[in-house]
Amino acid sequence: MMTILRELAAELIGMFFGETRLAAALLALVATTGLLIDFAGLDHLMGGAMLLFGSLAILVVSVCRAARPRAFWAR
Amino acid sequence: MMWSTAAPAVTAAFLASLVEVVEAFTIVLAVAMLRGWRPAALGTIAGLAVLAGIVLLLGPLLDRVPVASLQLAIGVLLLLFGMGWLRKASLRAAGVIPLHDEDAIFAAETAGLTEQTYRRQKNLDWVAGVTALKAVLLEGLEVVFIVIAVGAGRGLLVPAGLGALAACILVLAIGAVVHRPLSRVPENLLKFGVSIMLCSFGVFWTGEGLGIAWPGQDLALPLFIALFLGAGLIASGFARRLSVEFA
Repeated sequence: MMTILRELAAELIGMFFGETRLAAALLALVATTGLLIDFAGLDHLMGGAMLLFGSLAILVVSVCRAARPRAFWAR
Repeated sequence: MMWSTAAPAVTAAFLASLVEVVEAFTIVLAVAMLRGWRPAALGTIAGLAVLAGIVLLLGPLLDRVPVASLQLAIGVLLLLFGMGWLRKASLRAAGVIPLHDEDAIFAAETAGLTEQTYRRQKNLDWVAGVTALKAVLLEGLEVVFIVIAVGAGRGLLVPAGLGALAACILVLAIGAVVHRPLSRVPENLLKFGVSIMLCSFGVFWTGEGLGIAWPGQDLALPLFIALFLGAGLIASGFARRLSVEFA
């Protein structure tokens, strides 16, 4: 029973945070967008563009990063 | 109900469920082939009961959360989940990581259960039932999340749920006829398509949760879908070139 619960918890965490860098980048993007809208008076439309195009950029970078060998990124 | 929101929500729920139910079916079938349909069916029913309990527990709670907070929370979770799937689907399409192979999973599950036959013959029905339960529970959890996530923001829980149910019925009907793993389902293509919709919903709900009024409101969704499709294809193209360059 405990094993199943442990696997269930691992599955839940893995669903959202399976790729740590990707998740961290997305959370940082959402937090930055929210802060800029609420506290820096960023135009809502600009905030929306930042969120949308930021997500697209994070995706492309994350896929390219995974396709290249680790040594390349350590340079 | 706007068709521009309802159609992607129902389609996403249907296609995502199709992928997940095929994966769960492969393992349940392996259990049934080795130990008979009794432990497989009992495990499946138990898994479905737990999933139903989760939905019944979460459903009323969601009604109490303010709409903006709900949209932000679900939007961020959808974005995290959808981007993870889209990243993996792009890498699979580029050949960087191998495709999901239902036949291989079926063989591995069968071998695992056969090995346990020798180790603990007495408890094998129990082990087989738990294997089926875990498959239904773990794959079903993703279906439940997707249905709730694409449905809760705009009162589309029932249509999204029906989309998921239709996928279950379709897989079970085909599975009952062919009696073997459904390896011909173009899983990566489906995951690619579903993840694009999930990412689009994720950006849409997150933006709304942050107070952004999207131009054209729900009509912005098809534009987001087109942009994520383009980004996924570009990323996959780059990945293919990079993997060849550094091979």
